[in-house]
Amino acid sequence: MSDSVIRVTELTRRFGATTALASVSLSLPRGAVYGLVGANGAGKTTLIKHMLGLLRAASGSVRVFGLDPVADPVGVLSRIGYLSEDNDIPGWMRVEELIRYSRAFYPAWDDGYAEELRDGFALDPTARIRTLSKGQRARVGLLIALAHRPELLVLDEPSSGLDPIVRRDILGAVMRTIAAEGRTVLFSSHLLDEVEQVADHVTMISHGRIVLSGPLAAIRAANRGAPLSEIFVAHVGTATASDADA
Amino acid sequence: MRTRKTIRSAGVAIAWELCRRHRWGFAALAAYLLLAGTTDLLILEPGQALRWDGSPDVPPRLAATVVVPVSILAYYFLAAFSFGLSGDVAARQSMYPARMFTLPVTTAALAFWPMLYGTATLATLLMVTTRFVAGPSGVDLPLIWPALFAAATVAWTQALMWMPYGLPGLRVIIAVLWLATIDAAVFTAIVLKVPENVMVAVLAPQIPLAYLAARFAVARARRGDVPDWRGMLARLGQIVDILPRSHARFRSAAHAQAWFEWRQHGRSLPVWVGILVPCELALLFVAGKDMQSLIAYTLAGVLLTPPFMAAFVAASVRRPHPRVSESYGIAPFTATRPLASAALIAAKLRMAIWSTLAAWLLVLIAIPAALTLSDTWPVVIARARQLSDGIGAPRTVVVGLLGVSGLVAWTWRQLVQGLYVGLGGREWLIRSSTCLTLTALIFIEPIVQWIRETSDVRVALWNALPWILGVLACCKTSAAAWIATRLYRSRVLSDRTLVTGATCWVAVVLALFGLFTWVLFTPFFPRYVLGLVAILAVPLARVSAAPLALAWNRHR
Repeated sequence: MSDSVIRVTELTRRFGATTALASVSLSLPRGAVYGLVGANGAGKTTLIKHMLGLLRAASGSVRVFGLDPVADPVGVLSRIGYLSEDNDIPGWMRVEELIRYSRAFYPAWDDGYAEELRDGFALDPTARIRTLSKGQRARVGLLIALAHRPELLVLDEPSSGLDPIVRRDILGAVMRTIAAEGRTVLFSSHLLDEVEQVADHVTMISHGRIVLSGPLAAIRAANRGAPLSEIFVAHVGTATASDADA
Repeated sequence: MRTRKTIRSAGVAIAWELCRRHRWGFAALAAYLLLAGTTDLLILEPGQALRWDGSPDVPPRLAATVVVPVSILAYYFLAAFSFGLSGDVAARQSMYPARMFTLPVTTAALAFWPMLYGTATLATLLMVTTRFVAGPSGVDLPLIWPALFAAATVAWTQALMWMPYGLPGLRVIIAVLWLATIDAAVFTAIVLKVPENVMVAVLAPQIPLAYLAARFAVARARRGDVPDWRGMLARLGQIVDILPRSHARFRSAAHAQAWFEWRQHGRSLPVWVGILVPCELALLFVAGKDMQSLIAYTLAGVLLTPPFMAAFVAASVRRPHPRVSESYGIAPFTATRPLASAALIAAKLRMAIWSTLAAWLLVLIAIPAALTLSDTWPVVIARARQLSDGIGAPRTVVVGLLGVSGLVAWTWRQLVQGLYVGLGGREWLIRSSTCLTLTALIFIEPIVQWIRETSDVRVALWNALPWILGVLACCKTSAAAWIATRLYRSRVLSDRTLVTGATCWVAVVLALFGLFTWVLFTPFFPRYVLGLVAILAVPLARVSAAPLALAWNRHR
């Protein structure tokens, strides 16, 4: 059995005349934190949607845990924790209802850990989701994504909903804990300093193509210890870099 | 090469945006006006009426040339100019596009320009129709007040749509009541033959009044002043909070998803039925024992309320994204549930069963209670006795049960039969389906009237009935066979589920056929006709297409 959690091979995706992904190949071994960086519209979310089975590979193939996420959504999604950029948890639910509802889907749901996270995130169990702030909603989303101790945690632009304290202390700590337990984290971001703090491996994507991929330490060593933002500019270009840092 | 002219005023910019967005609607309007004008000016001689076959009967011709196209265009522009095609009609927030609030334009201008364009368009449509189509068709309609009436209607609709409300769904209720009032006012004016100058005097002030209301609405919406009356409901909800809340685990993911669907959509139908049915049953107290026809109409109306309301509730049940009105993709929260697409659909079907049963429980409790309290039971019992004398007591009971069961099944069917359209996420299919439904609603009344008034048509239809039913049954079973093949190949449903579903369908059809042959023992209905009716009555193709459509949309 392959040790790759995710294996993407020659994946191409077009939306009309626009090529969102062009012959993307990627292999993510188990047990590390992967940062997927790129400017807005580079193709990060499209790639993640393929990994979750929300988009069908028109050309090429996607395998997660060795399974096709479109053919076997239950087998793949039950082992993934996912927090989306727009975090569309129904507003009518109470936090406790969401926890009760979500645990039905995951055999490995850990009640103790869920309670620990809820306490740590200071979430009122009786509060309705629609009454929570954006940061609190992101915390709820993170709780649901983590409480079943997923083998793979996928975070699509998680920072967009979090304040700096959550971003630095909680998110970073959670990712480290998960990686330390031998599980895998894939997160996309256009905030390069954040990626630099958290990720072990970095994949840069621009205009649907992977322009650089490898361990962060190796990438920095190859670029004489330059910060990630400068490496990004060198590989992607000034215009997109300023967009990415925005 | 496309020329790009600079837009120099807010009025022109708003006009450009409306024209660009609704260019096909305006093209249809222009084509209709051109056709109407050309027919009158070039083809007809002065004083000659528009008669296709020389017959004096007006309704079918009028339906084709006036009622259908004018109604479609009027409803379309009513929705377009009130920005109803791009917003969430059930939301508390104003339907006026929020992006326009940041334009450097006064609130008065924001309300004025769309209202001017809307009233002008609808008034022009009605004036041209009256002058060039209805007149030559031999229908004598006044020129001014219908146009003024159309302008007032669009102006008030805009004001109501742009107003922020304190409760979700309140806009829908107010709009429905408003449109019903409009209908009632028009029919009353026509029946009473109110003079045109009186109508003009009543209608003319409506437009400035509506403008003031619209300006107030846009001003409130622009400063984010949305009233919130949900607190009142929350206080009611606190009563529910006293009850112990279930903390038990769901037995399975399927049960959890069914609970989710119930909480998301399931309560809408019982709530609507619970609001409407008591109002309808109040008529029994007005009628008393003497007005038997009113009692019959009231009970018929009450019995038709659940399936009628289910058609409206179904629009939200089949929406792929509950919060984004113009999104056709499945909401990521639902799409990433570790459940098969068939299980997601099964949860919706189960929710629809609970919702239907809850709505009918209310109806079946409310009707006997209202009949008892209004002392109108004897009228209903007398009618039942008449039927019993004609066909016998057992058949009367079976007909009654069959009728109620049929209505319950129809309600459920209304909730689920369009799932494949909405969940499929194909924009052209959703828009075409809406357009076809509206067209059918507009056509149905003139067609029924035409059939009722023309004996030749009735005879021809009766003779062709077996063929019509046969063709429909062939279409249904062919579509079902194609869908079953796709389901099998795509592995969306397991072989066992497919076989079980087909077996259940055949069993229900045979049972229904048996009931029909026993109840309808008259020689007027050959057995094969009853068999075809049974095949058509039991849902198959559209319901089984739902998992296929969802799977396609979920894994685009």
